[in-house]
Amino acid sequence: MINFEEELKKFHPSLEVEDAEEAIYNQDLTDMTDLLIKMVKKVDTEIESEE
Amino acid sequence: MVCYQCGRRLSENDFCTGCGADVSLYKKILSASNRLYNDGLEKATVRDLSGAAAVLRQSLKCNKNNIEARNLLGLVYFEMGEVVAALSEWVISKNIRSQKNIADDYITMIQTNQSRLDTINQTIKKYNQALAYCCQDSKDLAVIQLKKVLSYNPKFIRAHQLLALLYISAEEWDNAKTELHKCSEIDTNNTITLRYLLEANNMSMPEEAVKGSGTKKKASREAIRYQNGNETIIQPGKTRDLKGASALFNIGIGVVIGIAIACSLILPAQIQKVKAETEDKARAVSEQLDAKTATIDEMEQNIDVITAENERLAAEVAEYESAEDNTAAVDNLLMASSVYLQNPEDLEGIANYMDMITLEEIAQSSPAFADLYESMLLAAGKPLGDVCYEAGHTDYRAGDYDKAIPNLLKAFQYDRENGEALLYLANSYRETGETEKAKEAYAQVIELFPGTEKANRADDYLVEINTTGN
Repeated sequence: MINFEEELKKFHPSLEVEDAEEAIYNQDLTDMTDLLIKMVKKVDTEIESEE
Repeated sequence: MVCYQCGRRLSENDFCTGCGADVSLYKKILSASNRLYNDGLEKATVRDLSGAAAVLRQSLKCNKNNIEARNLLGLVYFEMGEVVAALSEWVISKNIRSQKNIADDYITMIQTNQSRLDTINQTIKKYNQALAYCCQDSKDLAVIQLKKVLSYNPKFIRAHQLLALLYISAEEWDNAKTELHKCSEIDTNNTITLRYLLEANNMSMPEEAVKGSGTKKKASREAIRYQNGNETIIQPGKTRDLKGASALFNIGIGVVIGIAIACSLILPAQIQKVKAETEDKARAVSEQLDAKTATIDEMEQNIDVITAENERLAAEVAEYESAEDNTAAVDNLLMASSVYLQNPEDLEGIANYMDMITLEEIAQSSPAFADLYESMLLAAGKPLGDVCYEAGHTDYRAGDYDKAIPNLLKAFQYDRENGEALLYLANSYRETGETEKAKEAYAQVIELFPGTEKANRADDYLVEINTTGN
């Protein structure tokens, strides 16, 4: 049996056109390649520091 | 693929030929992104929009610069009615690659049509308002708002789902299924849609839920149900044949019901008809009775008139008869007068005629008759009276009072001076029991012969009679 209240919580307000710009700016576009690059840089930094 | 470090085009080696960076993992990530994009494209092709969106988001998580995935995601969002999300993706896509990017065309298509943009904005506002109504438990208002939203943007899946949820909450299963079917047409494999549809199907047809929700067509004893698009077709199933006693019983019940209905419908009308006929007959009889009564009254009046006429005529007849009687009396008087004139000594002859004249006739006679009669009495009354007195007195002495009375009566009638005759007459009346006549005679003696011995004796006899009578 579907609980109306519980299901209603899953519905969020939709972004309006005026809010689109802010939503785009606030969107986190970090992807796996960024994480990979970050990890590589970190590793390189550690290697250089060890040297 | 280009190197993440130097931007040089990568070869099939696991390192960059330009900077020597290890790109094996990087290549795998980009390959995964592309693979996910392909998967998303395949899902989008079969209209599994929510699946495609999820996969494309994963693709972008792997590689945010996957322009095709981002553009496709924008398209998917747009098809799902999420216009702002679509614009966001296309704007980001355009920022990543500003040239030769179809996202530019998509953005231009939306932004150049200002009315369409306003409509989109209104749609989003109304959807948010509807969601607020739901949170405030104003479900009716929410339904109204959502219907408006869907009229502007029929592909807004979330609006359809929210409306379906409201219908499910109100147990309007058919309406909920209608909305969910519309969702399915847009996004075939949406999890929320499928879950709501399962719930609506289970609640509207519980027996299907027991067997499983996969079947669309169900043959039942009572009816066959199946879905045809948005319509539910219900076909009557086979009916049970009546057998034996149950058939007879059902027929009997039907007959009883039919008779009851006939009685309730027909009988009152018949009763009314009979009543009306009875009333008509009663009215006719009453009218006849009235006529008869009137006739009787008339007859009675006629009878009264006839009776009065009869009495009048009888009186006339009596008068005529009395006149006849008087004629006879006159004849007798004339004959008596004639005999006297012929022979005054013929007392017997005179008496024969004079005796025939009664006192009543004398009382009813004319003055001329009375005068002649008086004259006859003066002339021959005393001798006639003596004769009658002798005869009457003889009968009185003999005790034959009945025979004495007429003679004594005649004696006094002829001779008014003969008090003895009157006294003996009264005595005779007394002896024969005619008390009243005796009283009258005694009173007459006292009146006509006062102070005489006859009057005294009459008085004594009168007192004696009165004392005896009391």
